Amino acid sequence: MVTTRKIRLAAFLAVMGPGVIAGLADDDPAGITTYSQLGTQFGYRMLWTLVIATAALIIFQDLGSRIGVVTRQGLIGLVRQKYGARAGSFSAISLILANLGTMTAEFAGVAAAGQLFGISRYITVPITGLVISYLVLRGTFKKAERVFFVLSAVFLAYIIAGFMAHPNWGSALKGMVTPSMPLNHQAINIATATLGTTLAPWGLAFIQSYAVDKRLTREDLKLLRADVWVGSLLTGVIGFFVVITCAATLNKEHIFSITDASQAAVALKPLAGTLAKDIFAIGIIGAALLAASILPLSTAYSVSDLTGSPAALDDNFQEAPLFYSTFAAITIIGGGLIMIPGVSLIWILISSQILNAILLLPLLSYMYGIAKDKKLMGEFVSKRPSLTVYGSVIALVAICVIAQFWFLFRK
Amino acid sequence: MKPTPVSSINTVAKRLVGRGNLVITRKSVRDSLVSVAALIGCQVQDPNGKSIGKLVDIVVRHGEETYPPVSGLIVKVANRKSFINGARISKLTQKEITLSSTRINLENYQRRPGESLLDADVLDHQIVDVDGLQVVRSSDLYLAPLDKEIRVVGVDISFVSFLRRLFPGSIARRPTPEHVLDWAMVASLTDSTGVVRTSSSKSALSQLRPADIADLIEDLAGHEQGALIEMLDPDLAADALEEMEDDELESLLRGLPAERSAQLLARMEPDESAEVLRDLDEEHRESILSAMEKGIAKQLRVLVSFDEDLAGGIMTTHLLIVKETDTVASALKLLVENKERDSSDGVVVVDAKGQLIDHIQTVELIAAKSTSIVLDLVAKPFPTSVQIDTPIAEVVEEFSNNRGSSIIVVDEKNKPIGRILSDDLVDALSRSSSRGFSKGSGVLS
Repeated sequence: MVTTRKIRLAAFLAVMGPGVIAGLADDDPAGITTYSQLGTQFGYRMLWTLVIATAALIIFQDLGSRIGVVTRQGLIGLVRQKYGARAGSFSAISLILANLGTMTAEFAGVAAAGQLFGISRYITVPITGLVISYLVLRGTFKKAERVFFVLSAVFLAYIIAGFMAHPNWGSALKGMVTPSMPLNHQAINIATATLGTTLAPWGLAFIQSYAVDKRLTREDLKLLRADVWVGSLLTGVIGFFVVITCAATLNKEHIFSITDASQAAVALKPLAGTLAKDIFAIGIIGAALLAASILPLSTAYSVSDLTGSPAALDDNFQEAPLFYSTFAAITIIGGGLIMIPGVSLIWILISSQILNAILLLPLLSYMYGIAKDKKLMGEFVSKRPSLTVYGSVIALVAICVIAQFWFLFRK
Repeated sequence: MKPTPVSSINTVAKRLVGRGNLVITRKSVRDSLVSVAALIGCQVQDPNGKSIGKLVDIVVRHGEETYPPVSGLIVKVANRKSFINGARISKLTQKEITLSSTRINLENYQRRPGESLLDADVLDHQIVDVDGLQVVRSSDLYLAPLDKEIRVVGVDISFVSFLRRLFPGSIARRPTPEHVLDWAMVASLTDSTGVVRTSSSKSALSQLRPADIADLIEDLAGHEQGALIEMLDPDLAADALEEMEDDELESLLRGLPAERSAQLLARMEPDESAEVLRDLDEEHRESILSAMEKGIAKQLRVLVSFDEDLAGGIMTTHLLIVKETDTVASALKLLVENKERDSSDGVVVVDAKGQLIDHIQTVELIAAKSTSIVLDLVAKPFPTSVQIDTPIAEVVEEFSNNRGSSIIVVDEKNKPIGRILSDDLVDALSRSSSRGFSKGSGVLS
């Protein structure tokens, strides 16, 4: 029997569910920059890394939502339960570092967008921090979220721009299905960053805590999974068009590396002409704010999950000191790093995503362990075929990370 | 996550035993606490002080006693996990574990019903803090000698104790009883066999309001929900189930054995049970109904068949019916016999053909002569009745016209078959109007 609640839930998940939000927030400044760099540096050749990253995102977001619904515990709390106090703390620290990196990247995005209009980062970054904290802590977050959501949807413009740039579809298709890459540090860098930005650690923790916090039941799982699939595909599709747009414009014009945001915005020229810069900036700011308002919250939730008493916004500071401290720390440190004079925004945007990939390793491995635990997952326990797939993704991330370090220390 | 009602905090403990009877408050116990987290990994030695292996886990036996005694140790001897019977422990302190004889029987450990492993099953797992009405994670467990045995006496839930365990060496081994809950005040649910029933918490749980228990149930995962329900008296469990959200309850029943579901649903108000059953898929519904007592199952089948937007779909079939020729004494007797279940006040009077004549209040019956027949008491105002297929909107109208607290539902031959109480109507209306997607604390968008 379909109840009113289920219909509303379905409608909600279809339009703005956690999967779709995570999907759009995944195309944050770091994501757009990484994908732009992928297309600019390598044309269509490395599109296959995005295909794999998107598939991995679908698979692990799906697993995360299942774990959340079945166990009704957050990822970090579960790791503590299954692997002990030290492993729990290790996973929490990994997640905090990854989220801190990504938060810094969001601020970098806002700073870069601000610079397109000639506004200094010393103005845009503090204002962003204050606005986000105010909106989230004052509880007007939901309305604000809708605004950010719409703003970040501006990136759908890349789909149109992609068609207008007359890309070489044949090469694009070939790039998607034939894995090949130059074996140099630059290529490994961008492949690792693509994995790290697409399959972001915060998204995995977010989808699971969402299911726990909203107390979604097994009956809701179908809807949640559908939402997660749609959201993950959206990330991949937008990413695909960013890559081919850059490949058909920048790469074709022999620009082989993006060094600042105004170059990335050039990719939107076929669509928007002189407005390209403005559209790009709006999209970047929307996506950055969307992700930046979820990131500190999601992190604070995971940290309090480690302590065993999930805290939330309806607790005050005395009741949940750790929750608010984490929130503040992530926001202040993230913004603070961008304020360091002379720091390269593009460098932060890409290297934070490489950090993501490194820290994905322990988190994905813990998820793998939980997935095959019959005691925790009951009838939803993963069997050999799915475990093989999860294992392959982990192995792939591991190979990228090892290659990364190899190139780093060979110099 | 949920605000805990302030009035209920700490009241359970006081009501139950009085703070003084909780062993954790005794000085002798507090002075001899041994931290389980710090013990795991320690050397276990024979009487000569020679190490025989490392402690892997501690086995406790749950039973009728409030504080479960240690029934044995699991020790890693030469790379093999062996079980050592608790009777062989001669000394167990924070610094040393010594066995009573040099010759030990090394058995492979087989988990027995009613046992749990403190490190594998309880430490870092979720437990229900019955006193504070919340689900928490245990940072440490404390043992203490009590009534000639070493027993689990308390659970530490503080973050400081958790952090202490991250450090190497001696810091990790120093107990920090910051925030310790008495074992009598918690319900530990996670165990791999599903048979541990910590009876201690049963009595504590029985002091809670059904609505609070419903909240606790909704905070847990499937198999833990089952474990918590097993600890409850079936009547209390049924009351708690009535307080749960529809879809939560539906999900819970999916995880319970059909027999257990049948037992609980049979104890709930028939209209509430019917509503849940209506939402289940047919196969599941049938498996529950066939596990139920025939009479109740039949009644529920009828209720389930009604549309939930009609009078029949929200009525309860629990009616006390007397014939017009029955005596007042027998009517009163019927009321007394059903005092447990029936929340309505009074009896329904029917004629020889079984058709509705009147509704008589208990007060009227008590005031009347016990030898007189109920027909003598029949008088205005006559009760309002509606047909089974009357839409709820019209039922509401009848209620507001008559200002009564209940309406009788009759079939096409005017035979009374059920009753709608005003609270059933409130439930039905709130369900149809305002059930939005508004769960959770809203922390994550």
